[in-house]
Amino acid sequence: MMMTDLNDDILEDIFAQARAVAPVPSDDLIARVMAGATVPQAVPQPAPRRSLGQQVLDLLGGWTAVSGLVTATCAGVWIGVAPPASVENYTATYFGDEINVSIFSEDAIFATGDFFDG
Amino acid sequence: MNAMPDLFAGAPDEALLIAFANGDAQAAQALTERLLPRVLAQATRMLAIQAEAEEVAQEAMIRLWKQAPDWRQGEAQVSTWLYRVVSNLCTDILRKRRGGVSLDQIAEPTDGAPSVVQKMQTNARMQALSDALAALPERQAQAVSLRHLEGLSNPEIAEIMDTNVRSVESLTARGKRALAAIMAGRKAELGYDDD
Repeated sequence: MMMTDLNDDILEDIFAQARAVAPVPSDDLIARVMAGATVPQAVPQPAPRRSLGQQVLDLLGGWTAVSGLVTATCAGVWIGVAPPASVENYTATYFGDEINVSIFSEDAIFATGDFFDG
Repeated sequence: MNAMPDLFAGAPDEALLIAFANGDAQAAQALTERLLPRVLAQATRMLAIQAEAEEVAQEAMIRLWKQAPDWRQGEAQVSTWLYRVVSNLCTDILRKRRGGVSLDQIAEPTDGAPSVVQKMQTNARMQALSDALAALPERQAQAVSLRHLEGLSNPEIAEIMDTNVRSVESLTARGKRALAAIMAGRKAELGYDDD
């Protein structure tokens, strides 16, 4: 008879013998496996790269803080460029003119004269 | 192996793995008791060489320990993950082997107490099977071993091999045919006389 493929029965017999193989782990193997069982540390994820602008923004306290800062800066510039009458004396001081300011100016407090004139 | 008290009886493998990741060394011992025999058996059936099978079993378990902190709960079963790792490690070795193997390296069968002649014949058959698996395309070798040596269902194999059931059916059918053709030449040598 010409030898061709193994028939199914033979192959199934070999498979069955393979399935019956049930080795018992040696003490040495168990020891090697347990030696590797040190509690692992989670690998820290690298922090995402941040742009310089983002880092500056973080330094200043984020968008909320920066928006307040911008508002205050604009107000300061505006006051410098076109000072209202009430602060004109201060700007003059800043630029060299000496003036006296009376905080309790009677003119300011009693300007209307309502309290006295009834 | 000294049996652990039943501290973890009934707990799923995944729970033990997470306990280990959280620093519970006893969970690792319980997992080793549970999983190492099956891992070693799978490797032995594919490789037929005890030293190689032990090497694979050790490597697979070490990889499990390393995977523990990053284990994604509910995504895969620990057993499925191990089947995949062992299967891949074994096909790596089979690919490199593809040469002769000395008989004294062949694993001793541990079932029952067969006679010396029977033992030698079983060893020769297991070695022939392993050599034939080495000659198959790797995916076929994995599918055949998971189906016929581990006795897993096609859906289980599909999950392990990250494919679909139809592919598994095709791989196992082609693999089994190829295996039969490869081993046919050793029929008499393996104790199966022509009739």
